[in-house]
Amino acid sequence: MATYSKSGRSRAYNWFLHRITGTFLIFMLITHFWVQHYDSQLASVTHSVVAPGASPASSEAVQSAEQVAAGGLPEYPEAAVQAVRERRAAGLLPPQRPGEPEVTSYDVVMTRLADPVYAVLWKGFNILFLIVALHHGFYGIANILGDYIRNDMALAIARTLTWALALVLLVVGLYSVITAGWGIQTLS
Amino acid sequence: MAVDIASRSESHPVQRYKVRTGMFAWLCHRLSGIAIVLYLVLHVWGLKSLSDRDAFNELIASYHAPIYKFGEFMLLVAIAYHALNGLRIVLIDFLGWSPNHKKLFWTLGAVAALIIVVGGYPSLYALFTYFTT
Repeated sequence: MATYSKSGRSRAYNWFLHRITGTFLIFMLITHFWVQHYDSQLASVTHSVVAPGASPASSEAVQSAEQVAAGGLPEYPEAAVQAVRERRAAGLLPPQRPGEPEVTSYDVVMTRLADPVYAVLWKGFNILFLIVALHHGFYGIANILGDYIRNDMALAIARTLTWALALVLLVVGLYSVITAGWGIQTLS
Repeated sequence: MAVDIASRSESHPVQRYKVRTGMFAWLCHRLSGIAIVLYLVLHVWGLKSLSDRDAFNELIASYHAPIYKFGEFMLLVAIAYHALNGLRIVLIDFLGWSPNHKKLFWTLGAVAALIIVVGGYPSLYALFTYFTT
């Protein structure tokens, strides 16, 4: 029988924290999902598979990601289109390029990030969400590793690599969230 | 958990398990958890494109391919199950609801099924129309 935790840290504390973060995640995930998919101005219309030029009846019904990336962007609700038009007219968004749809996903997201309330409140929310989600997920993985790896040294190495990956994702995520929208002027 | 010792014999040296409700719930929780972490890695990594207009638009476009529509639905299934079974675990651990845990499992299972059907409708409808029209 392998020995249980050799660290001095209380396992009960981590066990408790895992349940707390899990409960929090339910509420944060509902909020995240609502904002990304149902807010009238932000939501992309995802009720269709966006794949222009596709001939669905053909044998190649499922397009590769490259084919779709060649031109398929989602449609946005009128409120979002209007907001992007206003910002572009005010010179706050780069001009539409030839061959590009008037409203791209990037324009919509940047318009949202230009809103100071969004920039502060939701960036804060996203940072908290990122930390809690990464902790919950990677603590779970570390637990699973402990269940199947019986060699103490191998387990220590596997857990170190796992938390290293979590740390890389934390840095990438923090950087992305914090710097998103920088360089795009805000409406004054 | 729920190890059926009696079924171990010389002809079956491999341990066999009798899968009961609790173990089934545990196994699904573990598998969905691993799947969600894999998604989380891709999702967070994809955020890097927020600093690059073309990369971001390409990424969003590729997310609307049929394979991602299917993935979207599977993600909802995994999340709905993991969240509600997690809630069940919390209720059992903190409120001592264990005598009712099977009933609780199937009740929350019904809620999860409802969330999957209602929330997954857009993805499935999109896939359906894509393949039939």
